[in-house]
Amino acid sequence: MQRLSLAFLVLFMVMFCGTGFAAAKKIPLKVITDTSKIGARHFDQKALDKYKADKDFDYSGQSIGKPSLWTRFWDWVWYQIGRLFNSIPFSGTALKYFFAVLAVAFLAFVIFKSLGIDPITFWRGEAAKIAVPYSESLEDIHGIDFDAEIERAVAQHNFRLAVRLLYLKCLKQLSDKDLIQWQPDKTNTAYISELTAPEQKRVFGLLTRQFEFVWYGNFAINKQAYTNIDMLFTDFKKQLP
Amino acid sequence: MEDEIFEQRTDLSGLSRAVEQIKATLSTIIVGQHDSIDLLIAGILADGHVLIEGVPGVAKTLTAKLIAKSIDAKYSRIQFTPDLMPSDILGTSVFNPKTTEFEFKHGPIFGNIILIDEINRAPAKTQSALFEVMEERQLTMDGIAYKMDEPFIVLATQNPVEHEGTYRLPEAQLDRFLFKIEVKYPTLDEEIAIITQQHNQKTADQLGHVKPVLSAHEIVTLRQVVKNLHVEDKLVVYVAQIVHESRNNKSLYLGGSPRASLAIVNAAKAIAAIKGRDFVTPDDITYVAAPVLRHRIMLTPDKEMEGITPDDVIGQIIHKIEVPR
Repeated sequence: MQRLSLAFLVLFMVMFCGTGFAAAKKIPLKVITDTSKIGARHFDQKALDKYKADKDFDYSGQSIGKPSLWTRFWDWVWYQIGRLFNSIPFSGTALKYFFAVLAVAFLAFVIFKSLGIDPITFWRGEAAKIAVPYSESLEDIHGIDFDAEIERAVAQHNFRLAVRLLYLKCLKQLSDKDLIQWQPDKTNTAYISELTAPEQKRVFGLLTRQFEFVWYGNFAINKQAYTNIDMLFTDFKKQLP
Repeated sequence: MEDEIFEQRTDLSGLSRAVEQIKATLSTIIVGQHDSIDLLIAGILADGHVLIEGVPGVAKTLTAKLIAKSIDAKYSRIQFTPDLMPSDILGTSVFNPKTTEFEFKHGPIFGNIILIDEINRAPAKTQSALFEVMEERQLTMDGIAYKMDEPFIVLATQNPVEHEGTYRLPEAQLDRFLFKIEVKYPTLDEEIAIITQQHNQKTADQLGHVKPVLSAHEIVTLRQVVKNLHVEDKLVVYVAQIVHESRNNKSLYLGGSPRASLAIVNAAKAIAAIKGRDFVTPDDITYVAAPVLRHRIMLTPDKEMEGITPDDVIGQIIHKIEVPR
């Protein structure tokens, strides 16, 4: 390794010395005269006149004219804001931090929105409420002519359907009297719990049970059983205010 | 006219008596938790496994132990730990020098009622050992399928996932649980009753006096009764609509599986039987929808960050669908 370093050193010295000797040689001087013609160039007067005529290039301030009322209003607003911040000690630093916080808040808002998160509910730490898209009921109790439909079902000996219509009619009556809030997604138990009068609650519970036996339980029902159920519904209607 | 117009088609008196006995036994020790107890009994009647989740100290394990003790069947308890191996649960083949053959030593999973305590403290490798046995009620080891005795019920307890030293259970395993019951803190009155009851107790052994009220054979019979209950076609459609909607809901990353639909129907039947009916109503379905679906669905990350719970989304889904009437 040492030998190699020594060899490089010797080679470098030889090259350096060689260059020094070459620079020492004398070269004869030769004078070259510049014979090219030089002419003055002038601005294009027409172009200058055109630019001068353009208001955009008039920096004298005379052509601006009076600022509009709107501009003066904003000038005044910014002047007041400037005065306000100038009156606060360390206003320069405060303003800097204010805008920094505002920028961070804006950035956070954009991030949350892009993720589909409601920033307000997230900030409060509470669970967001889900908006329930509500579809129209397939069975609108307010659009059925119950008496005619019940009569038709009884005539056809379809007592099961007749009991169902009796129950829907009863729900309509309760809804019309504002005793329940009709919603297609509510179960029968929900309607029972909405009734406040204990007797109404008890009897409607009994009616609901009969309806459920017939409609969900698929129990066989004859004319006699239907008549009994019909009487129950009629008695209940009389109890309503 | 106050009397019933219709007479019951199915004799549910035996089932009602058994349910009352279990509830009476549990109420001697457990204060409150009526819904949890109803769901536990429904889970047993519907031939399902039950996952009980709650913070430490809300009597999850005690409730599960009480249910197990009130049934006269082979009971095993497995405490899940991070170093538990699949063979610790299922069993392993051991060489017998006398016969010069390998013999299968049954693990604690071979029983009727298996209480798995702190199930989410074991890693996924150990959890996956339960897949076959929970779904198919059989265990394949060294090419031999071992059938589980009926009834085979897994009652598992777990702390909420975000607690120290817990793992999230694999979705495939969660889907095998019929219910996830969330045990909440007791009310103030219930807490006072718990303290008073504990204070007045003379012996340290809380469960010493608990006697079985049902045999394994009776459970199998009651399950058959529940299985034969009536479900109207329109209610089947209602269940399918709920589960289908869970798959299209924008708040959910994973919806309910067809197994979830079956679970809702079976669980609704069990609830109807507990209420003394031999048919299912929409109320039964809405009652079981949350415990059946809450562990099977997965929220999208943004909804999770917003603090929305699976129960909120299930409620939203139910409100979107018209009750068949």
